[in-house]
Amino acid sequence: MGNLLPGSGEPLRPAWELAMPELFTVTIDFEQSHLFFPHIIHWMLLLMVVLILVFEAPAYLRRLRAGHVSLPFTRGPFDAVRFMGTLLLTVVYFLTMPWVGDFFPNTGLGFLIVSIPYMAALSLLYLHDRSLRQVFLVVLNAVIAPVVAWLVLAKLFAITLP
Amino acid sequence: MEFLSNLDALYFVLILAGTLIGIIFGAIPGMTATMAVAVCLPLTYALDLNHGLALLLGLYVGGISGGLVPAILLNIPGTPSSITTTFDGYPMTQKGEGERALKVAIVSSLFGGLLSAAVLFSFAPLLADFAIKFSYVEKFLIILLALTVIASLSKNLLMGLLSALIGIWLALIGTYSVEVGGNGDMRLMMPFMEEFLYDGFSLLPVLIGLFGVAHILEEAEKGIHETHTDMKDALKNSLPFSFSVFRNQKTNLVRSGFLGTFIGMLPGVGGSAASVLAYTQEKNFSRHPEKMGKGAPEGVVASEAANNGLTGGALIPLLSLGIPGDSTTAVLIGAFTLQGVQVGPLFIGENVDTWNTMMVGLLAANIAMFVVMFFAIKHIAKVVMVPKHILYPIIMMMCVVGAYAINYGVMFDVWTLLLFGIGGYLASKIGIEVAPLVIGFILGGQAEVYFVKSLESFGTLTIFFTKSPIAVVLWLLIAISVGFSIYQASKAGRAKRDTDA
Repeated sequence: MGNLLPGSGEPLRPAWELAMPELFTVTIDFEQSHLFFPHIIHWMLLLMVVLILVFEAPAYLRRLRAGHVSLPFTRGPFDAVRFMGTLLLTVVYFLTMPWVGDFFPNTGLGFLIVSIPYMAALSLLYLHDRSLRQVFLVVLNAVIAPVVAWLVLAKLFAITLP
Repeated sequence: MEFLSNLDALYFVLILAGTLIGIIFGAIPGMTATMAVAVCLPLTYALDLNHGLALLLGLYVGGISGGLVPAILLNIPGTPSSITTTFDGYPMTQKGEGERALKVAIVSSLFGGLLSAAVLFSFAPLLADFAIKFSYVEKFLIILLALTVIASLSKNLLMGLLSALIGIWLALIGTYSVEVGGNGDMRLMMPFMEEFLYDGFSLLPVLIGLFGVAHILEEAEKGIHETHTDMKDALKNSLPFSFSVFRNQKTNLVRSGFLGTFIGMLPGVGGSAASVLAYTQEKNFSRHPEKMGKGAPEGVVASEAANNGLTGGALIPLLSLGIPGDSTTAVLIGAFTLQGVQVGPLFIGENVDTWNTMMVGLLAANIAMFVVMFFAIKHIAKVVMVPKHILYPIIMMMCVVGAYAINYGVMFDVWTLLLFGIGGYLASKIGIEVAPLVIGFILGGQAEVYFVKSLESFGTLTIFFTKSPIAVVLWLLIAISVGFSIYQASKAGRAKRDTDA
């Protein structure tokens, strides 16, 4: 490797390096250089985990036993239906979008056609008061929002959509 | 003066539109300026750099400012940076001075924004000129400093450092690119992932996932409950606003604005730190500290001047060093990359016209924010009532558009969105912090190149200490930030033991 550093002259060597030069010397094998930095990061990650276990874990366990804190994922309300429903709907949304889009290549229609039921379903899932008026507003929004997005992005700005 | 040709009508229309959308996002509790920028990014794909920046700057300024509306009217900070605005803003509303409080806040926001823009304009080119002389050694140390500062300002230093390291690790996934002098080999992945992760994770889907999808998952977990009552009631019985409120607030305005700008310059520190600091300083210096927290306009002034001071401040390290000052500017870095512009010490010098155009944009965004909010505040207060069950599906849809279109139609980027959405949700549960993680992710790749190339050239680790006096200064700053964090932690620990005892 050439000297890549602009304006870098020969730096002064401190006394401790002159005393033990091999301790600080590093040679990097170019063939393996893609693993050099990741290795350091792995060791640093390990070091951090150990430090956290040594310095933080005992205090945390004390507070846990005293009831000042609770374990992660056990505190607060958990609305399983809305949480898992969001995940499930989103996975189905992502899976069907390219599939539908393949029937109408390069039109963005996959996005438009799948977004309408996805948004309607997600809104209904989040809605607490499912009165007729609210459901009507939800469906209206689920139709208008993707159509506007599609018109502006795919048609006006020619942005790639599934 | 060639940049004047960039300033067409569309430029100002985009600034106005961006500011308006930003204000609405900022005003909706739980939506932040970062989300506004992330969700609206796809709109910039079809624009050129200057027009895209116009929209994004508007979103940034509007998003930071909008948070004051629910903070004052409902006692709910619209964004984290307006927490201290609630302290005195809401008591003013309760006294029937809601509109007055809003206008005090808006004028202070304008002042903070303009002050920080002036600091940005005069300071960023100087810093960039200085940073141009940096070699890879100093550049690596700057990144190390940025990550240490942000980790030391996390709730817990060790968790902050762990988060930053995880961010760096995620950034290393993919190829050690030949373009930056690597050997082109892949690392940190299984063979089946190579097809998708040849270039690693794309920045923007990661950011949109962490800031958009993760937030919606957290809300879904809590059951998507509406937080706001009726805002219209809060605006009744207003005592008229007059600029005489500011007669005794000049020092407060200037101090808070500068504090916000300075805090903004520190990497990864959000607006909440800036406004909390400005608020406590005002309380310390106030002639009537007992009135603070009970509806004193000076509290609102301090908080809002500081959090808008943040905008210009956070752009300083971004434009002069290529290091984002907060999570919103982290998304802005993505927007620059998208337009093929590399931000760093060379940016201002090589793109003088863009730089000038940006400065005009920042000024215009602040003025647009002022005009829109000062004269249309009542209407904005109503728009904020959009229920979450309508809003969140729209946000999910926009997240998908942003992720899909970023690399011209890669479905894997959309899955990245979900992956990091779930990852961000889980991470926050176990105390991993998103801000250091994101900054680590953004700077990880560069950190590797600067570190490895420095060692390849000099062959010794001591080069990081002996390269130049600047390197020594940077090490000192790193030591100070770690020392400060340990001191804070031990002080907090003592206080806790005292209260427990």
